Amino acid sequence: MIKELDLLKKDWKKSENSFELVSESAIYRMIHKKSSSIVKWILIISILEVLLWTGISVFYNSDESLKKIKSENLIYYFKYLTELNYVVVAIFIYMFYRNYRAISTITSTKQLMGDIMKTRKTVQYYVWYNLGIIAISMILVFVMVFTADPKLHQLSSKSNGLLLLIVFCAIFILGVVGLFWLFYRLIYGILLQKLYKNYNELKNIDL
Amino acid sequence: MSDSLEKSFIKQLKDNQNIIHKICRLYTNGEDAHKDLFQEITIQLWKAFPKFRGESKFSTWAYRVALNTAITLYRKSIRSISTVEFESRSYFISQEDYNPEEEEQLKLMYKAVHQLNDIDKALIFMYLEDKDYTEISETLGISEVNARVKMNRIKSKLKKILNP
Repeated sequence: MIKELDLLKKDWKKSENSFELVSESAIYRMIHKKSSSIVKWILIISILEVLLWTGISVFYNSDESLKKIKSENLIYYFKYLTELNYVVVAIFIYMFYRNYRAISTITSTKQLMGDIMKTRKTVQYYVWYNLGIIAISMILVFVMVFTADPKLHQLSSKSNGLLLLIVFCAIFILGVVGLFWLFYRLIYGILLQKLYKNYNELKNIDL
Repeated sequence: MSDSLEKSFIKQLKDNQNIIHKICRLYTNGEDAHKDLFQEITIQLWKAFPKFRGESKFSTWAYRVALNTAITLYRKSIRSISTVEFESRSYFISQEDYNPEEEEQLKLMYKAVHQLNDIDKALIFMYLEDKDYTEISETLGISEVNARVKMNRIKSKLKKILNP
């Protein structure tokens, strides 16, 4: 084996100057082109996610739909939720920016991979936070509407009425969350498959 | 970024471009993919260049950025996915020491190395470049002892590929 590796090394050294050289003007053109690295993709997707979720939560808290429900409690609840949301978004953007800035190609391979995954995870947490808020909001709206409406209230006093409604809510919420989970598995599965594989490989070396 | 910085970078990269070519040779199949990865590494080197203080040699610094790009950041673009078989580089051997048996072995060796995973390739690359285990362990972020162990494992892996 050593013999074959030595042979390979000899040939490797010999072939050192066999490459078609790239000219200065070609290098100049290259450094003015855009990168297509995964870090750039993660940044683009993350910005889109933040915009989407912030957009959804603004839409969801719109006064129009609240007035329809006519519940004082719900209006209070959504007011605080909106304020909390701004704080969370601010913290999240700061954390994302800090993690993103920490990504550097001059650290070790393992750390670079870890930093990239940390950046992505921050966005993921933000998405889960939003899904959680939506789930809670949906439950609250269901409960409020239910208790406010006498007809519906009557329905619940009948046998199985309440149970059916709870099951319906649960299925609906689980369906929405499940759909997003699938969507994320797909996006990041495609984008980060190689990164995960290599990261585990590196981690296993030190086990 | 200033013009002088750009000029200095372009000159140093031009003089050290073999490092990048060697990594591209190891991590890609075919000419298009080679060019694609070369370009991405060049962009990443340029992005990292303002932080290069000249404490180490340009080449030492470039090794790390180039390997990190090949292993971690680079995503094959669709047009660069190529099914071209890796060609033996036997034509690098000059006529006077042409040895058919050696050439056959080399061909198999290159093919075997190409079958390794990204991390194993990085270790083999640094081995072929005569890097010591301290540098290998620092570049990859693993311990020195384990880098040695891993290298021995890769050797037996290659052996297995060569003699199934």
